Amino acid sequence: MPETIDFERVLSSLQAAAEKLRSQKDYFNDLDSQIGDSDHGDSIDSTFKKVLESLESYDTSKRDIGGLLKVIGRGIILSGGAAMGPLYGSGFFEAGNAAGGAAVIHVEELVAMMRGFVAGIEKRGGVKLGEKTMFDTVVPAVDALATAVESGEPLREAMNKASAAAESGMQSTKEMHSKRGRSSRLGDRSVGYVDPGSASMFVFLSAFFESLVT
Amino acid sequence: MKKFINQYDDMIEEMLEGYVAANADLVERRHERVITRVGAPFQKKVGLVTGGGSGHKPALIGYLGEGMMDTVAVGNIFAAPGAQICYDAIKAADSGEGVLVCIGNYSGDLMNFGAAVDMLKDEGHKIETVVVNDDVASAPVDNMDNRRGVAGEIILWKVVGAMAKQGATLDEMKRVGDQVVFNTRSLGVAHTPCIMPSSGKPSFEIGPDEMEIGVGHHGEPGIERVKMMPADEITSLLMEKILVDLPFKSGDEVSVIVNGLGSTALLEMYIVYRKVAEILKEKGISAHKIWVGEYFTSMEMGGFSITLTQLDDGMKKAIDVPVNAVHFKG
Repeated sequence: MPETIDFERVLSSLQAAAEKLRSQKDYFNDLDSQIGDSDHGDSIDSTFKKVLESLESYDTSKRDIGGLLKVIGRGIILSGGAAMGPLYGSGFFEAGNAAGGAAVIHVEELVAMMRGFVAGIEKRGGVKLGEKTMFDTVVPAVDALATAVESGEPLREAMNKASAAAESGMQSTKEMHSKRGRSSRLGDRSVGYVDPGSASMFVFLSAFFESLVT
Repeated sequence: MKKFINQYDDMIEEMLEGYVAANADLVERRHERVITRVGAPFQKKVGLVTGGGSGHKPALIGYLGEGMMDTVAVGNIFAAPGAQICYDAIKAADSGEGVLVCIGNYSGDLMNFGAAVDMLKDEGHKIETVVVNDDVASAPVDNMDNRRGVAGEIILWKVVGAMAKQGATLDEMKRVGDQVVFNTRSLGVAHTPCIMPSSGKPSFEIGPDEMEIGVGHHGEPGIERVKMMPADEITSLLMEKILVDLPFKSGDEVSVIVNGLGSTALLEMYIVYRKVAEILKEKGISAHKIWVGEYFTSMEMGGFSITLTQLDDGMKKAIDVPVNAVHFKG
């Protein structure tokens, strides 16, 4: 397996992840009906519909990974909608800034790109770990990716570990009290349910990572 | 629900149509949800932008005018404007001197303005943001970052508005703006909720003989629910909490806003101000500038708030610069 990732691979992986998320709209709505207002699936669906539209209209001949991510970020930030737009949008935008204008990136640069993704979400949402949000999925996933890359593990192995960490991060939200959004008003009653935003983040990351190495 | 509207979905659109038609000498509609001063952006002047949910008349669009705001991003009732609206509002204010975004500390406003600012900075615009968090009821003093912004926003707009008019730079305005916010403390009380036009339901539940101290502009819970009490008593109670919070001290010069939340009579507000003046005198604090009236409402909520700002010489001069905003003169 090559330890570099090219523009076309990033593009097709984003496409695969967006399609996977859209296919699970009903599952996210169901999760949200337990502690929210049942619209998380709709929100994810409209956000990633916009991602796919941005991908279709992007000039792929430029082969600019950072530019691609920034165009996606811009598109979903400015399309409005629920909080998912600015959060994922800022994530993609900062990931693009971190990735720069290269056509091919090394795994270390992939780690930097994913760190940018985390930083964008953190900055926009002002979130911390343990607040029962998407952040509890993405932070351990990117940490696991970074650790695996630093210790020289093959890319596929690193991706598997990152996806596994995303999944346990998502599961960990079950025991948390919600501190954010509508579900935060439930207090103790938010315990026992997986946070819908952390579930969609797991689906996004695992589909993206899987596609990067397949 | 008793409201003079047509359809709920048309409320904001129809309000904006009426507002622009009535004030066409001062304002224009640049985009669907962006209202600007006529002729904005202005050369050789830092642009001033605010924005947020609707339902706070005369805030926010009533503060558009010479010496105050240049553009406003308009959201739905009590809901932040989307990032595209914020983006368009900021862009419409920038003549090349940069833009100061002045908004209240609400997560939706911060998220959408923040995202818009990132996009515009990437395009080369120079932008700073001042976030107002003057409501002492919404978090303890050691956790000021979690306080909401209320009527104190007006003092910020007044000071930075005057500075922009006199040719101050963006960096100077950001520095003074942050200081004005720090020096400003507000606290309110409400005995009657407003009715949400979307649902016909009250913005909070309260008994007929009760009032809530520190209730938010959108019906957010306050710090204490008490029985109704005479004007002097509740005014003393609010003033006590405001004065210790900064703290304000003998020799200070302040501006004062006694602000009606929507359905409280001006008659009552002057009774409140009478007591405010008495307390300030007792404490050796002098009122440099006083406003009594409806400046930042919560539709027809019943209640009032008091805002004090500790002024230094620069702020005093800025406060005295005349303005000609749609709903704020002098």
